[in-house]
Amino acid sequence: MDKARWHIPITVVLLCLGIMLSLQFQAQTRVASDLTFQRTETLIAMVRSLSEKRQKLALEITDLGNQLRSQMESSRDEKKLLESIYAEREKMRIVNGTTALKGPGLTITIEEHMPIIYTDLLNIINELWNAGAEAISLNEYRITSHSTISVAEDAYHEDGYSIFMTVNHEKLEYPIIIKTIGNPNNLEKGLTLPGGIMDNLALFNAYPEIEKVEALELPAIEKPTSYYFMKEYKPTEKDKEKTTKTTTPQEIINPLKNIAPR
Amino acid sequence: MWFLLPVLGLIIGTYLGSNITFQLPPIYIKYMSIAVLASLDSVFGGIKAILEDTFDGTILLSGFFTNALLAALLAYLGDRLGVDLYYAAVFAFGIRIFQNLAAIRHHSLTKYRQRKARIRGERNG
Repeated sequence: MDKARWHIPITVVLLCLGIMLSLQFQAQTRVASDLTFQRTETLIAMVRSLSEKRQKLALEITDLGNQLRSQMESSRDEKKLLESIYAEREKMRIVNGTTALKGPGLTITIEEHMPIIYTDLLNIINELWNAGAEAISLNEYRITSHSTISVAEDAYHEDGYSIFMTVNHEKLEYPIIIKTIGNPNNLEKGLTLPGGIMDNLALFNAYPEIEKVEALELPAIEKPTSYYFMKEYKPTEKDKEKTTKTTTPQEIINPLKNIAPR
Repeated sequence: MWFLLPVLGLIIGTYLGSNITFQLPPIYIKYMSIAVLASLDSVFGGIKAILEDTFDGTILLSGFFTNALLAALLAYLGDRLGVDLYYAAVFAFGIRIFQNLAAIRHHSLTKYRQRKARIRGERNG
């Protein structure tokens, strides 16, 4: 048997057969998975299951949409809440003086030669608060609910005896400049109304300079006050009942009744 | 070792066929299947011929291609004419494949026995 004679032809034939076989195999598997060659029953079952699936998915979509909407709403609410909290905080900071401020208002300048004592400063500041001042600073010290204005004695002064005014326990240097933010006209009127504080000071030959300013800058307080002992107290229902029982308003109001002429 | 080259050819052919991007259009699948069947018949016939020592390369090659083509054409013609010649071809080629396989088995068995007997004879002699 001559090997070379049958070798080549059978190899060629098998090569072709391999190609044809794999082609046919691929085509057949493709046909098996093709919908047009499926049986009607299986097609019906497929349609049914697919439509069920679709319904389920549609339900899921609506469900998830609702969830998304509610989440967005809640986040919007949270954002609003946060914004209001921020606004509140800003307000609190302004009120407590922890931020520097800017706004229209008055400056009141007091020179060293004017005979003014710390009660005058207190009066001026009270008058300013009365006139609707929103923030006041004395030199570089913001006046808050914790500010103190007082007088102190300088024990080491050359003359042996010298008093000076203090604000927040710091020496108040001249010229004293009171800056206040508010409606400048109202503030000025509050100070200069006849018989007011300016007239009073004029009796002592003190004429503080009042100046309206468009844009004033007030410093922040140097260190914010910390609170250790204060706690919010909300009277409960019981406490309220107790107080109303023990002190009847009649007894408090009526002591004068017997004295008053009939 | 002499059978390795055809096996390699088969493997390479399968690999090529699976990597070809050409896709058989679905309407020709039927004819392709009958062509494949005819080719298988030719291949088994060739193997049988090798074992019977009556192998002829030209006959195998021509038989391979003409059988495949004719089978496909016949099936197509049957479809055109409304006669299911497809089944006739499947039947004929199926029978021939089984006959060839039986002959191959028969021949290889007898050859194996002959060889065994010869070895035994050599050992004894």
